[in-house]
Amino acid sequence: MSNYLVKELMVPLSEYATVPEGSTLFDAVLALEKAQEEFDHTKYKHRGVLILDKDKRVIGKLGQLDVLRALEPKEEGLGEINGLNQFGFSSNFVQKLRQQLLMKATPFKDLCSIASRLRVEDFMQIPSEGEIIEQEASLEMAVMQLVTGHHISLLVTRDKEIIGILRLTDAFAAVFHTMKECEL
Amino acid sequence: MKELEKLLDRIIQRININLRELDYDVSPFIKKLIPLKQMVKFYAFYGITPNHSLNFVFRHSSLAGSYFLGKCRATNSILYKSDIRGDELKHRGDLFRYQKFEIPINRDEGIDIEDSYLIKTLVHNFSHDPETPEKFFIRDTVSTHYANIHGSPCDGCFLGPFATVDLTTTRDCVIGTFSYVQAGEVGHLNVGPGTVWVRNPGEFNFLYRYPLNRLNHYIDFIEGRPPQGFIMDFVEDRKEGFQRVFDTVNIEPSVPVPDNASLDRYAVIKPKTRISDNVLVAQRAYLQNAWLGQGANAQENCYIINSRLEGFDVTAHGAKIIEADLGENIFVGFNSFLRGLPKARLSVGKDSIIMPHTIIDIKKPLTIPPGHLVWGLITNPEELETNSMALKDFSRIDDGLIKGNMSFEGSGAGFVTAFRDRIHHILEANGAFFDGKKSRGHAQKNQNISFNTIQPYPDGELQGLYPAIVIQP
Repeated sequence: MSNYLVKELMVPLSEYATVPEGSTLFDAVLALEKAQEEFDHTKYKHRGVLILDKDKRVIGKLGQLDVLRALEPKEEGLGEINGLNQFGFSSNFVQKLRQQLLMKATPFKDLCSIASRLRVEDFMQIPSEGEIIEQEASLEMAVMQLVTGHHISLLVTRDKEIIGILRLTDAFAAVFHTMKECEL
Repeated sequence: MKELEKLLDRIIQRININLRELDYDVSPFIKKLIPLKQMVKFYAFYGITPNHSLNFVFRHSSLAGSYFLGKCRATNSILYKSDIRGDELKHRGDLFRYQKFEIPINRDEGIDIEDSYLIKTLVHNFSHDPETPEKFFIRDTVSTHYANIHGSPCDGCFLGPFATVDLTTTRDCVIGTFSYVQAGEVGHLNVGPGTVWVRNPGEFNFLYRYPLNRLNHYIDFIEGRPPQGFIMDFVEDRKEGFQRVFDTVNIEPSVPVPDNASLDRYAVIKPKTRISDNVLVAQRAYLQNAWLGQGANAQENCYIINSRLEGFDVTAHGAKIIEADLGENIFVGFNSFLRGLPKARLSVGKDSIIMPHTIIDIKKPLTIPPGHLVWGLITNPEELETNSMALKDFSRIDDGLIKGNMSFEGSGAGFVTAFRDRIHHILEANGAFFDGKKSRGHAQKNQNISFNTIQPYPDGELQGLYPAIVIQP
């Protein structure tokens, strides 16, 4: 067993970006920027925002990819392009088709403006069972959960209450540190 | 009728097991689609000719209103008003060419239908699967109204109304309403409604997808209801004509038929129809004031009304041509629906190819220039511009093209050549080039067919099922 426990590696909820449900994506981005400025002084920046209900319980996670998803143009045909792969078209062809349709799509700035007003609940991910870990769990346990579930973070609980977040980068830094210790 | 009910449940379960990966339940679509009491109403029948195999084996099946020709087996299946046409199956001693392989055929090929439910479906051609060249299998499959299973062994599939699988081994797939698939081999796919897909891997790939909100006007199929829409109404409105030909034992052709042409006695022929030399009119075709020039053909479930086909025109299975004038050498693909109006006729220039599952529905006259490839949904000249292209221009594509809802990748020349070769083969097989001695085809071979009828149990536990029947020379 490693010497590290999850609670020693996690970022406490109070230092992480959070927004109440009903917030817009723009509110979430501002909260992330604020958290990065106030709490996050490591070279690995916070990359997500947690969504809290009125009782301050975590109900979802909003990652960078979720925000980008909100920027996807909604033009007719663009959604269907993704389905072309099943019909055996090459990636190059699909890419070309996507480019052609993007030329006619809503300008990117307009998309950003529209997306900033959308609600976080429509894009957040609801944490699955495999994304939750007890604060007393070991680093090995956390690594296993991150790897098997392809997660970029885990929500850390104490008595079933979420108290922090264990980021992939924090787990990796601890693993890296352990490796170096072994070599010395 | 208990046994028939059990049989239907068994078929539904088997196909659902096959489609579990797609999370698709066929039950709500087909459970009550055809009332089982219908299975007692209609006799099944088979053809006897000196030119085709005679080898039928039916076990624990219901065959209401279905027709069989050649070598066919049906086991634990329900076939309702379907045509199982085995007149293009391979024969013992044939050589089946597939890519670099030359596969000797050791016994006559047969159509083998097992644990399947086919409704008003056409099964034709031969197995293009090199792994089973002597068995054209249809297993654990459900197909609905006016589907075509053409040269396509199927295992664990659901075909929606007016769907076609053509020269494609299909496993565990859903082929949506009015979709056409010709792709060699497909598996575990859910092909949405209104998809027209023609692929030859490494050579070309053609895909058109109908706007569903517009396709639904023509054909729509939802759970718990029979198929609906304009094309369905069109067919249903003409049902009566077929009842007469199926109820009459001896029926004489109502129009002159040349010695080298074939008019099936189960086709409906209305006044002012003209049949020229080497014409083939298959059963369940409907002709009304139709002028068929030399070598033209009208295949199963075709409707040609108030129209003129100059000659060597192919009207593939299920195609409908209304108030239209077609030049020579025109191919109208499977289930296409071409509709002009008396004062707004559709004119198609010679040497054109109307892709399978094309809908042309016009209110003003429309002319398709000669030598064009046409696809998709067309109701006016603007849509014709988007959904067509001169074949010589299409042949120049060497990379890809996106035009409206159509995507094409690969060699345009390869695509056009493949279609041209196929059209030539169809005309040849149908006897369009018969010169009195050589090139005999269906038009000449199918002239004298005797039809025998078989009947199900009329009552009791086995009501609607046919006893085990073996018919051989």
